[in-house]
Amino acid sequence: MSTINFAAREINCKIVYYGPGMSGKTTNLKHVFSKVPGHLRGEMVSLATEDERTLFFDFLPLDLGTVKGFKTRFHLYTVPGQVFYNASRKLILRGVDGIVFVADSSPDRLRANAESMRNLRENLAEHGIDVKDVPIVLQINKRDLPGALPTEMIRAVVDPKKELTIFESTAHNGVGVFETLKTVSRLVLEKLSKS
Amino acid sequence: MIEPSLALYGEAYDRVDQHIQELLDVTGVRYGLLVDRKGFVLSHKEALWAPRPPALDSVATLVASNAAATAALANMLGETTFSEQIHQGENGTLYVESVGSEALLTLIFDASVPLGKVKVYAKKTVAQVASILDELKDLPPVNLGDDFSQGATSLLDDLLG
Repeated sequence: MSTINFAAREINCKIVYYGPGMSGKTTNLKHVFSKVPGHLRGEMVSLATEDERTLFFDFLPLDLGTVKGFKTRFHLYTVPGQVFYNASRKLILRGVDGIVFVADSSPDRLRANAESMRNLRENLAEHGIDVKDVPIVLQINKRDLPGALPTEMIRAVVDPKKELTIFESTAHNGVGVFETLKTVSRLVLEKLSKS
Repeated sequence: MIEPSLALYGEAYDRVDQHIQELLDVTGVRYGLLVDRKGFVLSHKEALWAPRPPALDSVATLVASNAAATAALANMLGETTFSEQIHQGENGTLYVESVGSEALLTLIFDASVPLGKVKVYAKKTVAQVASILDELKDLPPVNLGDDFSQGATSLLDDLLG
């Protein structure tokens, strides 16, 4: 799945942040962008509406460095979360190597989390990708929210079989952002070296 | 295990580079990129006289997303895809043409370059590059091995703490 360019000796992997609207996908990318040194990251591209809701996607290239002579690079994308943007959301999943599912801890967004996960499975299936073939990490975001639902309750809805690695986060101050990214990156690289 | 196919891939991509360079030389296009449908730059060439190009990762991502969106639009209109896209501005043109089902040839040039000329020569390059990409499909997948994973993990630790 990953693109390996042998002439430039580059390996490129695509990681997509998925989840319901306003769950904090763009905030994750913004935090990564602000904390990673400039020479290791490219420009962040955001196609957003005036009120900063993602319209098409956000994009951030990230350089890992050289591994065994291969320059290894991650491309981070977010999808627009709102239900009615499914056509563009589906496009962004094309060729995905790893997924971070950002769930919202707010009590009135539990159902939105469930619907977004179901939508992810449907969209992957339309690309002919089995959910089990893509590394997925679950990030339960907005833990600082008053009245935040228990992690286990959210997990029971989006990951009832408890198959996914789970992280708690508050993306706006950076808690859990790097841990999540690191884990999904590692899963992608492990898969790459096995295939 | 890796080495033999590396040489072969390298040689194939050198030929792609060469075809794009020839296209640039003959048409006067500023920048020529081969981008895969996922938005990764596979190969790029720029004319020696041209100013520093914009961030190519961003260009590639936006071109690929745009192609994906127009392809979805094509499907709705009963086409399989729109193979060619031209965006013309006041000072320059962005020209994108499909290379097989996996890649996009992206050319950026200024208003002094005639679009018709670029189209004629680009079609030739597309055919050449498509046949090279076809050859690559038959090659065996590469095994990167366990130490790749270990090396990458330690870099991840450095980057993300």
